[in-house]
Amino acid sequence: MVGEVKKLISIQDLLKNVLKDNVISIEQNKGYLDVLVPTEKLVESAKKLKDSGFDHVKSVTAIDYIAKKQFKITYHISSYLNEELSKYIIGLSTIINRDNPHLPSLSRIWVSAEFQEREVYEFFGITFDDHPDLRLLLLTPVIAALKPLRKDYVVKEESDDIEVDYVAYNTNKWW
Amino acid sequence: MITWYLVYRIIVDDIIFYPPIYQFLIIPGLIAALLVALFIIWFERKAAAFVQMRYGPREIAPRIGGAIQLVADLTRYALQEIIIPETVDVLPYILSPIIMIILALLPLEAVPLTSIRTYFPIPPDYSLLIAVALSTLSPLFVVLMSWASNNKFAVVGGIRESFIITAYELIAVLGFLSAAAMTQSFNIVNIVNIQMSGKWLGLLNPIALLAVFIAVLMSTSGFPFEIPDSESELVAGPYTEYTGLLYGLNMGGGYIKRWVFSILIALVFLGGWAPYKPVPGIITGYFIPSLIVSIKALIVMAIMSFLRSVYGRYRVDQALGIAWEILIPLTLAAFGLGLAEAYFGII
Amino acid sequence: MESSTSGSVVPHLPGMEVSELSKNTYEVYIGPAHPGSGHMRIIVEVDGDIMVRVDPDIGFVHRTMEKLAEGRDWIKNIPLFERMAILDACNITLPYVEAVEKLLGTEPPERARYLRTLLCEINRIASHLYGMGIFGVFLGHSTLYMWAFGDREVFIDLAEQMSGARLTHSYPVFGGVRRDIPDDFPEGARKATRYMRNRLNEYAKIFLNNPNIRSRLENVGVMSKNLATELGIVGPNLRASGVRYDVRLNEPYEAYGELEFEIPVFEEGDSLARAWARVEEIRQSLNIIDKVVDWLEKHPRENFMHEKFWKTAPKLYKDVYTGQIDYAGKYRVKLMPLFASLKVPPGKAFARVEAGRGEMVYYVESDGKDVPYRVRVVSPSFRNVIAFKYLMPGHRLMDLPAIYGSFDYFPPEWDR
Repeated sequence: MVGEVKKLISIQDLLKNVLKDNVISIEQNKGYLDVLVPTEKLVESAKKLKDSGFDHVKSVTAIDYIAKKQFKITYHISSYLNEELSKYIIGLSTIINRDNPHLPSLSRIWVSAEFQEREVYEFFGITFDDHPDLRLLLLTPVIAALKPLRKDYVVKEESDDIEVDYVAYNTNKWW
Repeated sequence: MITWYLVYRIIVDDIIFYPPIYQFLIIPGLIAALLVALFIIWFERKAAAFVQMRYGPREIAPRIGGAIQLVADLTRYALQEIIIPETVDVLPYILSPIIMIILALLPLEAVPLTSIRTYFPIPPDYSLLIAVALSTLSPLFVVLMSWASNNKFAVVGGIRESFIITAYELIAVLGFLSAAAMTQSFNIVNIVNIQMSGKWLGLLNPIALLAVFIAVLMSTSGFPFEIPDSESELVAGPYTEYTGLLYGLNMGGGYIKRWVFSILIALVFLGGWAPYKPVPGIITGYFIPSLIVSIKALIVMAIMSFLRSVYGRYRVDQALGIAWEILIPLTLAAFGLGLAEAYFGII
Repeated sequence: MESSTSGSVVPHLPGMEVSELSKNTYEVYIGPAHPGSGHMRIIVEVDGDIMVRVDPDIGFVHRTMEKLAEGRDWIKNIPLFERMAILDACNITLPYVEAVEKLLGTEPPERARYLRTLLCEINRIASHLYGMGIFGVFLGHSTLYMWAFGDREVFIDLAEQMSGARLTHSYPVFGGVRRDIPDDFPEGARKATRYMRNRLNEYAKIFLNNPNIRSRLENVGVMSKNLATELGIVGPNLRASGVRYDVRLNEPYEAYGELEFEIPVFEEGDSLARAWARVEEIRQSLNIIDKVVDWLEKHPRENFMHEKFWKTAPKLYKDVYTGQIDYAGKYRVKLMPLFASLKVPPGKAFARVEAGRGEMVYYVESDGKDVPYRVRVVSPSFRNVIAFKYLMPGHRLMDLPAIYGSFDYFPPEWDR
């Protein structure tokens, strides 16, 4: 256990060394290490992290903090080729404003983020600048316009009345 | 009484056993082909089921092992609505499956099935050449079909089909004609008579038999060459837009083509009616020899069908590579072997 | 259709994507109704027979699980997430359970960890067999399809004996598992592993060493080590490209740290290597099953649920769970009552496991309520789907099924 703690400290040191003053805060969460960076330094930090061995993105997560009027985007990254780093998961996070949300895309740095950024784009309406191919991935345009994963989108329960459902079906029809 | 007897004779001799009708419609033509398709499809399913540790067709007539499954399938195809999409070229779309079936059966008109002169459908002097030539007609209508369908899958399938045609035709023609080289005759009756002594051409020249066998598999899109209608990327290839009876015709067309080629293989390489010597008389001189040929052809077909449970399908360029790089040299070698055997008098 | 041929303005419907085709190419839409797979579509642009652009168009069975999860109790999300890949149910839900356990601070008892491992491996075999069967269909090899699906039944039966359900087991729950194995389970499991080992040799004979299949797969869809890393490929597909990464090895969870097993790694990175990687993984999973079953037999039946949850159960439940009453048809035994009113302390957790198709990742955030604040699910197939875009161009159209099948895609899983 002591060794693990030591290692964690060392990985925190490593991150601090790599990212220098880009870091706002490093938070030890359960199962991953959350590194918060400002949006304008996201690309730079990502490049540095990639150079230091974090070679793929596991997940691109957007979280809607509606009370704070913020989105938090987290890139969970790790390594395949470096066995030591592969034991850790780093959450490279940035916080953006909820109005007109956009942030630089990291798909050019980590190709593995490409589809996941598309997914975040359609579910949250967050635009990734400089994304190579920003299109809808899973949703139809009408649903995507509602930005379904934002907290202010409330899932309506399906009605028992088939007519009501049919109206809803017709309004959601896009083809 | 006499009149009834005459009527009976006319029906039997001049209608049923009138060679062109008999061979086109009864054995080995349409009716036999239907029965063969019935059996072969059942056999194909049962054999595959045996290999794959399952039952196979069982719901229709479970007591006879689901043998009449195809009757149910055909009934369904016949009763289904034929949907003709708006975008197709209607006339070739409807006609090409029908013409394909007729042309596929046409080689049967050219082959003699007995050595009795009365029962030759056409003079048999060049029957092998004519039969092989006629067999090359029907695949063209598959290409026409795919073009008329105006569907992307169909067009890609049709292109593949035309590639395959160019590949297998030369092999089939050369393979069959190596028999002519061995016997110095295009006359199938002669070819069979030579084999009467037990020296089947398939045994003397197995390379030619193998090449023809593979060419037939290619031409009828049997495994491992089920390429034009490869379902995993092309739905049903050239037949994608077809429904109901027309689709049933297409599906049956493949089996009929295979059947016709199997008849040719049985005649040329497997001794035809070989152990049996036809003696004059309708039954002994015509019915029995044609039955023997049909049974031999059926065995060939069953072997082809069994390959389904062993192989997957080749890629189209691999199939073409096999055809052009391996089989054509092999066929030429078979042709040479045939010539050599003829020269040294082995035959 | 009229407009495209006459060259006039294309009507722009909402959501209609209009993309210009380059000259001399042909666009083929493969799917969404597909004879081999489920609901997927791949838009392929072919130049002659060569694919020049491949665009995986997914989402036909999307169910918005992440949104649904935000409106459900913590425990009710387990059956929900199972629907992603019902044939790999234990592996798919395990990281969610682990993440919530991290937030709750409960460690499952040792026996529960072994039981989870056991079902995970059974699921992995079933999932690989399913994938191989579909792969067989893609190459027109119906025999492999039937064999694999038939043999999968053996392991589904094992899972049924363990959990009571053939597919959607909901077996791991917070703090433990749902029930223990029956007494005659180890015998059946050993019989199944013996049987499967023999069968794997026969698979190799009819499929993997079949010259026809080999010529289809060898040097097709070659993914180099660097490309696989770059694209973030997961699972057997990654290990077939020579990357030695397996969550079971790099961050051992459940009982994997205490078990000995090998991770098959192949260097070739082609479709054949991916198929072999699955076969070898099945072999390793069989070994793990044997070892886990041995362990379970040697150790006495102790609690399989964390004390925190166990103590809330009425006596009847406990008696039934420990096998003291034959309950069939007599009593309805539900989960521990605490689960229904479970509130998870605020926090953020991230968990990963090696599911059948690859690494399964959950991010769970709680704000202290009885429903999650945010659950992010990234399934292995979703991370593999990007490979089609970058790997397929340059191959022939007939290679599409060979590559596609070799990745063991599963549309309901990548769509979520």
